[in-house]
Amino acid sequence: MKFRCERDTLAEAIGTAQRAVAVRSGALPVLSGVHVTAADGTVELVGCDLDLTIRVTIPAQVEEAGQAVVPAKLFDGLTTRLKAGTVTFEVEGEDARISAGPARAGVRLLPADEFPRVIEPEGTTVTVDAEPLAEALRQVIPAASRDDARPILTGILIMATPTGIRMVATDSYRLGVRDVEGVGMLSEGQKVLVGARGLNEVQRVFSSGQITVTLGEREVRFANESRSVTTRLIDGEFPNYEQLIPNGYPNKLTISRAELEEAVRLMQIVGEGREGTPVRLAMSSAGLELSATAQERADAVELIEAKFEGTDLTVAFNPQFLLDGLLAINGEEAVLESMDPLKPATLKGADQPEFLYLLMPVRIS
Amino acid sequence: MTAPAILHLDLDAFYASVEQRERPELRGRPVVVGGLGNRGVVAAASYEAREFGIRSAMPSVRARRACPDLVFVAPRMDLYAEVSRAVMAILRSATPLVEPLSLDEAFLDVRGAERLLGTGPEIGEMLRARIRSELGLAASVGVAVTKMLAKIASDSAKPDGMWVVEPGTELEFLHPLPVRRLWGVGPATQRRLANYGVETIGDLAALPEATLVRSLGEAAGRQLHALAWNRDPRPVDPHRATKSVGHEETFATDRCDRRALEQELTRMADLVAARLRAHMLVARTVQLKVRFPDFSTITRAQTLRSPTDLSAVIADAARTLLADVEVERGVRLLGVTALQFDGGGAVQEALPFDAPAVAPEQGALERTLDAVRERFGPDAVGRAAHTSDGRVRTDRRGSLWGPDEQAGE
Repeated sequence: MKFRCERDTLAEAIGTAQRAVAVRSGALPVLSGVHVTAADGTVELVGCDLDLTIRVTIPAQVEEAGQAVVPAKLFDGLTTRLKAGTVTFEVEGEDARISAGPARAGVRLLPADEFPRVIEPEGTTVTVDAEPLAEALRQVIPAASRDDARPILTGILIMATPTGIRMVATDSYRLGVRDVEGVGMLSEGQKVLVGARGLNEVQRVFSSGQITVTLGEREVRFANESRSVTTRLIDGEFPNYEQLIPNGYPNKLTISRAELEEAVRLMQIVGEGREGTPVRLAMSSAGLELSATAQERADAVELIEAKFEGTDLTVAFNPQFLLDGLLAINGEEAVLESMDPLKPATLKGADQPEFLYLLMPVRIS
Repeated sequence: MTAPAILHLDLDAFYASVEQRERPELRGRPVVVGGLGNRGVVAAASYEAREFGIRSAMPSVRARRACPDLVFVAPRMDLYAEVSRAVMAILRSATPLVEPLSLDEAFLDVRGAERLLGTGPEIGEMLRARIRSELGLAASVGVAVTKMLAKIASDSAKPDGMWVVEPGTELEFLHPLPVRRLWGVGPATQRRLANYGVETIGDLAALPEATLVRSLGEAAGRQLHALAWNRDPRPVDPHRATKSVGHEETFATDRCDRRALEQELTRMADLVAARLRAHMLVARTVQLKVRFPDFSTITRAQTLRSPTDLSAVIADAARTLLADVEVERGVRLLGVTALQFDGGGAVQEALPFDAPAVAPEQGALERTLDAVRERFGPDAVGRAAHTSDGRVRTDRRGSLWGPDEQAGE
């Protein structure tokens, strides 16, 4: 196999494909590599960890067709540090030779015949706009769990609504709900649970244009002309979240999103390295007073102007969870609504009804 | 040269002495506090009992064999805790720098008190006298320039004495002692050191640090080398935080019924959680300890998704850990420990989904149970899963050192 292409194009493609490469120990060794196929003026790079597959196709001058599996970390590191311009990639025996200008590098290949055949879903394919999908994913993904011990919560629930789709994610401490109008990727009444890690790649790879969505029995594939992300569906029943969303709250705080974000970051420093140090939010007609105390370490307090309707109340949150919510919502103003210090509170952007972030407080003795 | 000012105070045969103080008929007699059953162990032995070679942690059966006239007493932890508080109060009257190590020993740093109360040795004698006259108990004191040396000195001072390691004589005192007297030298390390011909602390000090590091690993090697030269920079820390809260029990007969063991875990988790709440601690890790009939012991730990003080969560983790343990050959001892504390007693609550692992009401429920037990006693209320014969079973006193009842054959 031998091909030539632009360094920047190749480096970007490797960077994208390798995000699906298996990094955990104990995985099949060949999965730590990027699978490269050269044919007919294109080179395809594939990263795969059996749950998630990313393919990237780039234009190239192919002199000799073929395939190889190149250790991803080395491939990525070497390629990004080569001189800009044309890169030549050539397989010689058990090694790949990568050269650009005066620089040459060799990498021992992984056995290509051990690379698993990537299964692509079969089913109806629909075309949707990438941008609203990506923005919705950006908002809900932070609420999903990263704990593999609870597989269901590592997924995003995507369900059909009369006018589009709804996405829901939770790690059992917070919950993100996002309605997307007009992205008709599901048929009526349909709902699927898709791994948040894969969807995070979808959100990164497809930020504009149109993409196709193919929903199969066990996988879903998102693709455009040059890229595809395929991720496994998760089996199981998503928690019954609907009853958690209240119709109205007695206490409502309206505040500058940016100011609250800055203040929470300040409070977070106090508890750095001491996980579980909460930030207290004392709400009253005087505004919002944030405070945090880590005994024998540090403390901080800040008063921010805010509009408050309701009865004075103090609620404590995990600062990171609150911050995740503030970064997920849109708009200049944030609206924090709560019932009491032990019931879930909601965070929304003012006049942004399509996204809701529900957050469970921290109980302080 | 100024007098040394780090004190280590250790009450002599503490539990046994408290019992002898409370029950005059026991004075002058060989007394053992501990598990009464034939699988129990000795928690403390009076000096009279020690003359028969009886030591703490010895199986009760062997102790009885060594001394047929031995008086066995069931432990009364509440009483010992109360006496301990009185002792610590006396120590804190000398300096706020008191670091309790357990109910019956503590370090003191009296440097700030010297002008008011005298030198370290003078304060040591004063504290010993007050504990004797006010509480009727004997305490031994070691006085030195480091914590490690003070502890070794108090051991040399026993019974009912004081040992002062004068400045400049530290190594003279330390080096002839057998190496096992050093902190961190157990039987395994001792065997390994014996390969190098090390018998005394002086032999150890003579070994190059690099040799120790090769043999014992980086941390242990460096630490032992430093201690052998009396280099112990640790200050007396009055705020030394609790590192773990646990409960373990030896069963009257080996258990191999998984369901029964799970019930025991639920009950122990209840006790551990109540203590966590009482100390306003939340733990991030749950550890299970299992000892088999052949005395081989394993521990397994699980890190929780979020810190907790709830028995339901602790029990759940402990049962999950037990699921991977082969119990069919029998279990002699079972223990549950909560560790890795986060500060402030702040607990991230979980969203109340309809079938949550732990309902948010669970917290309220368990705190209510705490309040009921506080008021009406530990047996006033318990979980249905722990009832047997329609009665609630809670902590059996003294179960730490083996069950009280004789095992039914």
